[in-house]
Amino acid sequence: MNRGVEIQHLKKNFVLTRWSGFRRKVSEIPAVDDITLSIPQGESVALIGPNGAGKSTTIKMLTGILHPTAGDVTVLGFVPWRERRKLAYHVGAVFGQRSQLWYHLPPGDTFELLARVYNIPRSEFVRTRDQLIDRFVLGPFLDVPVRKLSLGQRMRAEVAASLLHRPKILFLDEPTIGLDVIARQELRDLIREWNRERGVTVFLTSHDAGDIEHVAERVIVINCGRVVLDDRVNAVRRQYLGSKVLRVQFQEQPSDFSMPGLRIIQRSGYELKLEVDSTVTPVSAVIGAILRAAPIADIAVEDPPLEEVIARIYTSTSQTGGSS
Amino acid sequence: MNANAITKYTWISYTAIRSNLAYLGEVLSRTTFMAVILYTFMRLWTVVYSGTGTQRLGGLTLQQMIWYVMLTESMVLSSVRVSSEIDEDVRTGRIAVQLLRPLSFSMSRLAQVLGERTVRFIVNIFIGSVVATLLVGPISISFTSIAMLLLVLPLAFVLDFLGYFGIGLCAFWLESTTGFVLIYSRLTMLLGGMLLPMEVFPQGLQTIARWLPFAGIIYGPARVFVSPDEAMLMHIMATQAIGLVCFGATVWMVQRMAITRIQSNGG
Amino acid sequence: MWRAFKNYLQLVGAYARINLNAQLEYRGAFISEAVAMFINDGFWVAFWVMFFSRFPVVEGWSRNDVLMLWAVTAAGFGIAYAVMGNALHLAGVIVNGQLDLWLLHPREVLSHLLLGRTVATAWGDAAFGYLVYLIFVRPDLAHIVLFILMTLSTALVFVGFGVMSASLTFYIGNGTMLAEQWRFAMISFATYPEALFTGVVKTLLFTMIPAGFVSYVPVHALRELSLWYAAAAVLGAVVITAAGVAVFYIGLRRYESGNLISMNG
Repeated sequence: MNRGVEIQHLKKNFVLTRWSGFRRKVSEIPAVDDITLSIPQGESVALIGPNGAGKSTTIKMLTGILHPTAGDVTVLGFVPWRERRKLAYHVGAVFGQRSQLWYHLPPGDTFELLARVYNIPRSEFVRTRDQLIDRFVLGPFLDVPVRKLSLGQRMRAEVAASLLHRPKILFLDEPTIGLDVIARQELRDLIREWNRERGVTVFLTSHDAGDIEHVAERVIVINCGRVVLDDRVNAVRRQYLGSKVLRVQFQEQPSDFSMPGLRIIQRSGYELKLEVDSTVTPVSAVIGAILRAAPIADIAVEDPPLEEVIARIYTSTSQTGGSS
Repeated sequence: MNANAITKYTWISYTAIRSNLAYLGEVLSRTTFMAVILYTFMRLWTVVYSGTGTQRLGGLTLQQMIWYVMLTESMVLSSVRVSSEIDEDVRTGRIAVQLLRPLSFSMSRLAQVLGERTVRFIVNIFIGSVVATLLVGPISISFTSIAMLLLVLPLAFVLDFLGYFGIGLCAFWLESTTGFVLIYSRLTMLLGGMLLPMEVFPQGLQTIARWLPFAGIIYGPARVFVSPDEAMLMHIMATQAIGLVCFGATVWMVQRMAITRIQSNGG
Repeated sequence: MWRAFKNYLQLVGAYARINLNAQLEYRGAFISEAVAMFINDGFWVAFWVMFFSRFPVVEGWSRNDVLMLWAVTAAGFGIAYAVMGNALHLAGVIVNGQLDLWLLHPREVLSHLLLGRTVATAWGDAAFGYLVYLIFVRPDLAHIVLFILMTLSTALVFVGFGVMSASLTFYIGNGTMLAEQWRFAMISFATYPEALFTGVVKTLLFTMIPAGFVSYVPVHALRELSLWYAAAAVLGAVVITAAGVAVFYIGLRRYESGNLISMNG
């Protein structure tokens, strides 16, 4: 029996009151407009979509913070808004912007508090805590006040804190925002480990394509309150995440080069911005051609902005009439 | 005027009110404050007056007593605590530049403070007068009472300024001036007769308090207004003059020490 | 039932420990804030000492009676906001969306979130209240025990009152200024002799502005060592808190239906 997350025809309308002069106008804004999903226990899901698409609203309803207008949800067999406290024992959450750690104290102090809040028996708490300290490498700064930690250290401690009570589901909202490359990779590895090896269901919202590729098995794209795409990451990668954006600063006028799968986005002076479809031509080949075209001052390889990818997904799926 | 025009103008004034809501909030809190304090003191003094069976205590009638408290509260509430600004200037080092020309610096600060303070004082008086009138009726105002008030008010403001200014300068030597400010302000209120006129002080304390600068700041203006009296006026002005000399000299000395410290420490 | 209460007390202990640790990280600031409140309260004691040296009795109230009003009020205020500091900052918690974080925990949301903070100055008030009582009134053991009970009752009034006034934020937006005025009025009236107020005002002081349950009833209990008055004080505190809690949870229902603060995403 699937005791993961079951969502059936979930709807949420917000009532907006506007004043024009002395007259009051009440309108209903659909934030979530009929979502049906089934996520088995142990899956790792990336929830993506533009701002205002309905992601946070959906997550709030899954955690019991918000009541839906219509529809049914069960999470681990609980109805979130009716059994919020019982469900909370099995849910962990990390919101990138809001910290659970007490700012002026070492992370260890917050861990002790959480043990009390979640009624974790002492021996079990010590075991889990030491395990987390070991795997997340928190030892060196366990006694350092959070305010003195780097962002990477803080996020590791933050995620560890959310796992202290051994939750079965973990919600992560933009966990890698602001992190440097190494810290980001470390965090992704840890989240993936907890998902693959310990069976924790992971819900990840992120604007970073790298997060999605390295952590999630399944991608759900939400736009305008509806599910626009629901597929394996591999499939999506092949179709939509295969492009990279190259920004090159030449030192002199480059000779012409063109290859299949290349599209020039912008050109100004000695600067060139182009898009590479890596499924057609590997990025390394393109870079080789660029280097042969002229000496360069600077080159950067980036993922295309997620908004663009989503827009592309949306337009292509609306053209094909539904998720692929 | 048709209905549309009326709606429009009402809407404009409504918007204007809403945009001043923050300021209104301040006025509201001032009003609540005054109302609560003056009401409780009216009840207190009513009971005391009828209990002792007199019309006057310390020469003041009940009505004068309440207007007295209104004025002293207005005075205290309108106080501008420059000490925190000066404290910060000291810690950031800005003061070094300012103290290069100490006299003009103090003067310009004073001018600034006087302006702000006068406005606050007027607002407090206005609100307080309305509340006091509602509670005990209007007090008799004469040319004399207003003149006397206007005579002692300027120096009262200046003395108050000097006190907090001097404390602010102590930031050179103290880790934090906030504690000092707090003690000083409470001492001012207590010895300056904010809630009790000096006539009602215990005898020994009264003799001392009458000649402290605080009397010139808080007690003085309120007293000469509610019960104008030439002898009292002379006394207050004498107190203020003494206070000015004492405070002025102290601040001058402290400034000198500060300048020396800047010059020896390099700012 | 008892187990749940014991569990809650352990939670209170854990939060008291972590709150105090957080304050002690900045020891100097904490102590100076507490001392500042001490001085502030001290001014009023000095005032009343001066006043009563001139007018020894006011409508049956003597100096020690008024000082008892102060002691109970200050101590109750101090205990309330030292342990449940968020009762003073609840409006901010609601407006800043921090409520969501508290809702993610497996605990009764209000009784949990109130513990999340301590107010440094409150510790000064609490110390002051107890010191004034011990020094000026010189009580015997029975009175001390009753005093402790009464300060806890008053603390409950302050918590309930804080919750009620802050919960208005669910309905009218940030009502912090209004709540502060209301609280100021309540504390002011609580520190003047009850005998000063009659008629409509007196009724007001036992209902809308419950200064009566902050200090008048507790001081009656202490003056006469009366368990009846003590019970009345506690009953009043419980009613006020129940009202506050009710207003909060009704407001929370509105919050959970999302028709309040605009949501992102």
